[in-house]
Amino acid sequence: MYRDRYPQQYRMNQPPRVLSTKDCSYLTDALSWELLTAKKAHFLASQCSDQQVKQQLEQISQLHQTHYDILLNHLNTTEHDHDHFGYQGYRQ
Amino acid sequence: MNSHTRSYGGYQQHFSGSTNPTIKNPTTQVPQSTQFNDRDCLNDILAMEKWLTDGFNVFAREASHQALHNDVMHILNETHRAARDVFNLMFEKGWYSLHPEQPEQVAKEHQKFQSYESQMPQQRTSPYESGGMYQPRQY
Repeated sequence: MYRDRYPQQYRMNQPPRVLSTKDCSYLTDALSWELLTAKKAHFLASQCSDQQVKQQLEQISQLHQTHYDILLNHLNTTEHDHDHFGYQGYRQ
Repeated sequence: MNSHTRSYGGYQQHFSGSTNPTIKNPTTQVPQSTQFNDRDCLNDILAMEKWLTDGFNVFAREASHQALHNDVMHILNETHRAARDVFNLMFEKGWYSLHPEQPEQVAKEHQKFQSYESQMPQQRTSPYESGGMYQPRQY
C-alpha cells in the first residue's frame, strides 16, 4: 500500500494543481457552453427592441465571455504544478 | 438591474376570479405573432442560464484541485446571479406573476416542522444558536 511506500511528509492532503482527464473533459464542455451562450445573448440583444432588455442581454454576453477566459486559463499548461512529485511519473 | 430605484406600478393587484392578491406588475405588451419577441428573448436566455447552473454544479462537484473548484464555484455563483437578474427583469416587465400561499397554511407547516425539530440529534436551546456550525478543514 501507499502507506508503506511513502513517508508521511510526502502524503498529499489534497490533489495537486494538475488537470485530470475528467477536468479536461469538463473544461472543454464548459468552454463550448460559454461560447455558445455569449454568442446567443449577443444575437438576442440585436433582435430586441426594448433598451432595458437589450442592455441586460449584452451584459450577460460579456459575463459569459469573462467566464470563457477564466476556464481557458485552466487549459494553459504553465498554470499547472508539473514539478509536484505525484506528477513526475506522467512526464514524457 | 437598478429595479429598486424604479417604482413599481401596483405591487399587489386583485384579479377577477381569485380571492388572493396576485403579485404582479402591469404587463409590458409584446407582439403576439410568430415573430420572436423581447419576452421570448429573455425566456430563452433564462432557460439557458438555468441549464448552465446545472452543468456547472456538476463540474464544481467533480473538479480535482482546489483552484479549479474555486473558479468553477465562482462561475456557478455568477451564472445564478445572471439567471436571477433575468428573472427580476421579467418580473419588472410584468411577464411573471406570483401567488402568495395562505398565511394559515404557512403557519400550519411552520408548526409541523417546529415539532419535528425534536428529532434532530443536536438539541438547541435557542433557534438560532450556531453551536453545531460546520468547521471547514484547514490546509
